[in-house]
Amino acid sequence: MNRKEIFLKKRYNSEKRFKLYGKLAISFALIFLCIFLYKIFSTGFSAFQKTLIKVDVTYNSELLFLDENPSLDDIKNADYYDLALETMANLDLNADEDQQNELKRMVSYIFDTEIKNHLLKNPDLLGKTSSVLLTASDDLDQIFKGNYPRDIPEDLRRVSDYQLTVYDKLIKDEKIISKFNFSFFTRADSREAELAGIASAVVGSFFTILVCLFISFPVAVLAAIYLEEFAPKNKITDFIEVNINNLAAVPSIVFGLLGLGILLAVFHLPRSTSLVGGITLSLMTLPTIIIAARASLKAVPPSIREAALAMGASRMQTTMHHTVPLSMPGTLSGTIIGLAQALGETAPLILIGMVAFINTIPMSPMDPSASLPVQVYLWAESAERGFVEKVSACIMVLLGFLILMNLLAQIVRHKFETKWS
Amino acid sequence: MKKINAKNVNVSYGSKQALFDINIDIEQNEVTALIGPSGCGKSTFLRCLNRMNDVIDICKVTGEIFINDFNILDKKCDVVRLREKIGMVFQKPNPFPKTIYENIAYGPTIHGMTQSKEEMDEVVELSLKKAALWNEVKDRLHEVGTGLSGGQQQRLCIARAISVSPEVILMDEPCSALDPIATAQIEELIDELKNEHTIIIVTHSMAQAARVSQNTGFFHLGNLIEFGSTDKIFKNPENQKTQDYITGRFG
Repeated sequence: MNRKEIFLKKRYNSEKRFKLYGKLAISFALIFLCIFLYKIFSTGFSAFQKTLIKVDVTYNSELLFLDENPSLDDIKNADYYDLALETMANLDLNADEDQQNELKRMVSYIFDTEIKNHLLKNPDLLGKTSSVLLTASDDLDQIFKGNYPRDIPEDLRRVSDYQLTVYDKLIKDEKIISKFNFSFFTRADSREAELAGIASAVVGSFFTILVCLFISFPVAVLAAIYLEEFAPKNKITDFIEVNINNLAAVPSIVFGLLGLGILLAVFHLPRSTSLVGGITLSLMTLPTIIIAARASLKAVPPSIREAALAMGASRMQTTMHHTVPLSMPGTLSGTIIGLAQALGETAPLILIGMVAFINTIPMSPMDPSASLPVQVYLWAESAERGFVEKVSACIMVLLGFLILMNLLAQIVRHKFETKWS
Repeated sequence: MKKINAKNVNVSYGSKQALFDINIDIEQNEVTALIGPSGCGKSTFLRCLNRMNDVIDICKVTGEIFINDFNILDKKCDVVRLREKIGMVFQKPNPFPKTIYENIAYGPTIHGMTQSKEEMDEVVELSLKKAALWNEVKDRLHEVGTGLSGGQQQRLCIARAISVSPEVILMDEPCSALDPIATAQIEELIDELKNEHTIIIVTHSMAQAARVSQNTGFFHLGNLIEFGSTDKIFKNPENQKTQDYITGRFG
């Protein structure tokens, strides 16, 4: 072989090697992504199932302290606790007082409300017996889902031997069933894992993003239009441009401190509300949108501006009639990406107090509320076994929203953007 | 009759001077061609006539340009009114990415020239007819203008320019992006348009200048070397540089 051929072979080999490295890098990233997704899905999937215990309730008027022919209001205002206790005690007629207590702890603490709601739906059940589905306690729920070992010594378990015998009997009688966990989406946070839901976090995140959008979008778009179309190019605008780019690189926790120090301490806005969260996050989203809007304004060919100006349009008309509408798809997709970033942001919200335990669903941005990423953080801190699957489920919901938003950004960009030849 | 009269026009971009003491008289209802090698300042001069150079921050224009005896370089001159009177067609066809109808209607709309939809329809039809495009697009006025062929797009741009009935139309190498057939159509159109408008065309093609224009100005390195009737410039130029350029010795 002469030198030229050796040279050629070397070149081809190095190209092959380079391709191989590229493929390795991509597979490496994909493997990590798969592990991550598998871990989350396998852990979180069970949170969408809820374990229920079917019990027979005899709606005894005496236990409810009701007169004959009670009105619906009476039924509503009655005290169901004794009836609920009686119902649970009936699971094992030979149980002593301690065991009755253990029986009670096999269901969630809202078991009396569940029994009451069943009657309210069918008021003619009064005096009759009906089977009612009660939410199982989180420990039982975890045992049923197989997330919780039962072959360890009793004092290391949260479920007693007695509860396990009753549980096994219920299983044999097919009294324990599993259903789709609607309450995970409709209930707010709770100290009890079996009752905790993400409604407060979803609504809180929604309000936060809404506030963030209403503040950051107009401000950012106006700033971008001014800087790109009207501002003279001089030292001051250069300085502003550098600082906008710097702003995009500021760690989010710093914005949290800003929100804490100014919005809460100086302006005394209500603590742990979506309003404060949204304002804080809008500071973070602002540079992202400004940069995206400026890039898409720049992408509008100068020939369009010239065409409009030559027709006698003023600078304002040229901008508003042509440049800005043409840049909108890019600006909007940048905005959605900025909002998706804001949706996943945790640190600033923790600093402004959205980390508080909120067990109500907020009705307005002025109400205290949770948010999805902070909810993940809160549950991840929780020691109880029942919250582990909730953490992953909450991450799944959050990822779902993020994927949706990024998809929307892509669609907006590709569908509505004008292609320039 | 003189339409445009430029006196001692100097243009500089920052510290670089692009035009030196240009003096030129442009006749009404005739086609004036500006020729010269790349970077000679002919486009820069053209853009002075409707003050398009205002957009460039570092560009500085001095001297006087009279159009209808009114100095358009004066601070009091309103560029919006000026550009209504002086239309422009660019090198690359640049229709708005809107419908054909909207492209033509834009000028009359922003200048408030029409009162009703019917009047606007008329303006659109007339402009497209004058630009010899009506027959090709009358059935698809509401399709996007950017979907037309290059030559059609350029005629659309001409139709857009004449929709506001300008007195002067500036053309900056209007055929350089077109094929010979489309070029021939545009040249024919220029000949038609000169009856109603004064036309100034910058071109790289000497053949084109010879075909369409009555007067020709030759620019070189920012100076107007020679200006006169097209016949004279091409057949019997006074300046040696003009002679060299015309015969293809440089440029």
